[in-house]
Amino acid sequence: MARPMGSVRLKKANPFTLLLGIVLCIFILYFLISPSSTPSSTTRVVVDSARHHLSPPTSPYRKPKSDAAVELGPPPVTRYNLNNVTITADPIGNQEHVLILTPMARFYQEYWDNLLKLSYPHGLITLGFILPKSKEGNAATALLQQQIQKTQKQGPEKDRFKSIIILRQDFEPSLQSQDESERHRMANQKARREDMSKARNSLLFTTLGPATSWVLWLDSDIVETPPSLIQDLAGYSKPVIVANCFQKYYDAETKSMAERPYDFNSWQDSDVAQKLGASMGPDDILLEGYAEMATYRLLMAYMATNPSEKDTVVPLDGVGGTALLVRADVHRDGAMFPPFAFYHLIETEGFAKMAKRLGWQPYGLPNYKVYHYNE
Amino acid sequence: MMPRHQASGFSNGYPREKTFDLSPHSFQPRTSIAAQRQRKRLFVRLGIVFFVVILITLWVWPKSAFASVLSLGLLGASSELELETVRYYDLTNVQGTARGWEREERILLCVPLRDAEPHLSMFFSHLRNFTYPHHLIDLAFLVSDSKDRTLEVLSDNLEQIQADPDPKQPYGEISIIEKDFGQEVNQDVESRHGFAAQASRRKLMAKARNWLLSAALRPYHSWVYWRDVDVETAPFTILEDLMRHNKDVIVPSTYFLYTSDEPVELTISQMSGDPFPIGLVVNSQSETALALADTLDEDAVIVEGYAEYATWRPHLAYLRDPYGDPDMEMEIDGVGGVSILAKAKVFRTGVHFPAFSFQKHAETEGFGKMAKRMKYSVVGLPHYVIWHLYEPSVDDIKHMEEMEQERIAREKEEEEKKVKAAKLKEQFGDGADTWEQDKQELKELKEKAAEEEKRRVKEEKAKVAQLKQNPNKEKPAAQDEKATTNQGKPKAKQEKSRAKQEESEVDDEKPATSKGKSKAKQEQSEVDEEKPRENREKPKPSRQKPKPKQEKLAQAEAKDDNAVAGNSEKKRLAE
Repeated sequence: MARPMGSVRLKKANPFTLLLGIVLCIFILYFLISPSSTPSSTTRVVVDSARHHLSPPTSPYRKPKSDAAVELGPPPVTRYNLNNVTITADPIGNQEHVLILTPMARFYQEYWDNLLKLSYPHGLITLGFILPKSKEGNAATALLQQQIQKTQKQGPEKDRFKSIIILRQDFEPSLQSQDESERHRMANQKARREDMSKARNSLLFTTLGPATSWVLWLDSDIVETPPSLIQDLAGYSKPVIVANCFQKYYDAETKSMAERPYDFNSWQDSDVAQKLGASMGPDDILLEGYAEMATYRLLMAYMATNPSEKDTVVPLDGVGGTALLVRADVHRDGAMFPPFAFYHLIETEGFAKMAKRLGWQPYGLPNYKVYHYNE
Repeated sequence: MMPRHQASGFSNGYPREKTFDLSPHSFQPRTSIAAQRQRKRLFVRLGIVFFVVILITLWVWPKSAFASVLSLGLLGASSELELETVRYYDLTNVQGTARGWEREERILLCVPLRDAEPHLSMFFSHLRNFTYPHHLIDLAFLVSDSKDRTLEVLSDNLEQIQADPDPKQPYGEISIIEKDFGQEVNQDVESRHGFAAQASRRKLMAKARNWLLSAALRPYHSWVYWRDVDVETAPFTILEDLMRHNKDVIVPSTYFLYTSDEPVELTISQMSGDPFPIGLVVNSQSETALALADTLDEDAVIVEGYAEYATWRPHLAYLRDPYGDPDMEMEIDGVGGVSILAKAKVFRTGVHFPAFSFQKHAETEGFGKMAKRMKYSVVGLPHYVIWHLYEPSVDDIKHMEEMEQERIAREKEEEEKKVKAAKLKEQFGDGADTWEQDKQELKELKEKAAEEEKRRVKEEKAKVAQLKQNPNKEKPAAQDEKATTNQGKPKAKQEKSRAKQEESEVDDEKPATSKGKSKAKQEQSEVDEEKPRENREKPKPSRQKPKPKQEKLAQAEAKDDNAVAGNSEKKRLAE
């Protein structure tokens, strides 16, 4: 008769060996669970986490276990009182939710690192990304998801964002190359910025939840901002406010790092530009920063004076989208990024015009700088 | 052979006593038993200790991760662990197709509400009857500035529907959004009266719609359906019917159901130029309207149904043939907000209800304009009809009053014309025979038509006079107004009212007819000839109409006296 092997082994084993085994098991188990038990996940209080996946994506939801999904039943009736959503100059004090939106074509590690450095409570920040469905977009998505995984699952509790939404664009980018030279060619500008507007709008209108107070538009190639960016910009309590975007580069002449203005979309209008616009066809757009089209607008990029005078605020007629803080009200009223010539303006400049038509005046901070990636 | 199983002991011959071996058949040398027992006892003790320790751990730290691993997640399932913070959506999956119900495409149903309590029960009966799978429909309501119990009734009803035992009843995500826009949207006479105020009121309505949409639209929606709460009758299959056309923006034709003693079909064209009840703005662009748009100020808004701007646009509602093909499509420019089905991508890419003057239009009309601007297809179904509850608002009553005054004024004009005609007759009486004969014939025809018209108008007038308590007061006012208003005014009315159209056929000073008008007229004559029965029915409502309004009219008049004139919309903007 066959004898079970187990009993033979047990019989021969020393009880102390077994004890050691058990201790080892506990030891291993302890290390298995330790990474998730060290951050105080028990103390994390997520007030507005929803029960159902059909909830505003600006809040996390409690994922039902596979077997419980069946019993979950229909979603509840949820009431949102938008009268109670405050938008004030003290966003941290009033626990105001911020939505950071980024249309992304390429992923820069520096961008993500800078995002993590933001001192605004991450528990109040929702991130929204939209990426094209191109090869480049897929690569960027993979890198982005990797970083998100690292931050949201393994990172320290204070670094974790309230919620993250990744969207994939539903239209083909009309411009295949994302190279700086190609992107900035004047002939390509209209098509490129039309796409950009559609991407921005798609991102905005699907993620702007009922709890959001502020929307921060931050371009994916902004690699350096002051950590207090959000509370600083909100502190001016302007409906639309934009920081001045510069680029750092290595100056071969002085053999040192220098900076130069980068974003020319923030400006005050000029009569020349007005007249130029009036002479154009209904579908033509005015562009900034091209010698062929001299608009003589007053550019915020060149208004930068003394870095110590950070608080200089200037009214603007066109804004850039590199680092742009917008009251959620402005977007809710309908201000969007026109993907067509709106008063001969498009995208963020058109947005400024639309905001003005709705009675919201855009402003700029010429001495408050953010830095663009240098390719 | 020796029997293996004996009653007295084991097959191996050992006695049974003092043994609890589980496998008694196995061979175990007697000498090892003591040691084995000892070891077993040790294991049991160790096990007990271990178990007690775990129990204590669970008791002391019931939510620790350690405990949840040891208990295999069976105890105190810590929800924090399953918190999902990252969501991924591919927008190419939510483009919207002609057969959305098969592809499980989600629809967002948006309903803006204000003081809508009386309509809610009707609305919910519609809601229960939708044939589109309910779990694929997400509902979003915006309750703004309501003074009645709209909010309570709404949430009660919704909770009822979600708790319905029928698994086909409950809907998807339901959001009730509360937002008060404050005094700006006040419904008092001053703010609602007048053409200028109308534009700013519509801009605020547009804002309300945008707030609702921006708070409720999610990345998983393929379609967005806008529905007014006071739709009286609509096909249960309306979502599928509209979706089937696979257009970016599609609207059915909206008619008003006039409910008095008997429900009577009341087309908009018969309502003697009714002030735009919301669904009326389904229109195609006419050249006149385009030309008009160019002459206007940047902030001006063309509001359909107001005589200040005679737009000559063929309205979808006038083009209806009751026996027409409900699937017939027609390109349109402006849409009404009563029932709009649009692909979610239209809203995603930025088309919204402009709360500013966009190409001289705002709200739903501006929405149509903007969708067109972004090269989306905007289509109306002239023969697919839904019925809107006709409930005259303060506005409507006001406007009807104006219309009434105009009618009286026109009648006077008519009389003068008749006198003139008579004079002409006398003067040219001595002319050539053939001329006279011809003229006589023409005049007779004309007179006949005019008389008929007059008789009808008089009949109506008499009715109105009967109903109104102070008709005398109105007449001089009407004349004043007539003198001040722009030339286009009567023309616009002609297009709108059937009676006026007939008249215009007789009228010598017939304005250059636009395409749409002639079309409408054509249809008119067809209806006249082919459907006399319907024709007979039609005048009814216009005669009955003033009845329920009698009181309201008097009220409105009184208020009108106090109303501050010139509440210009620019002023509001300046603020």
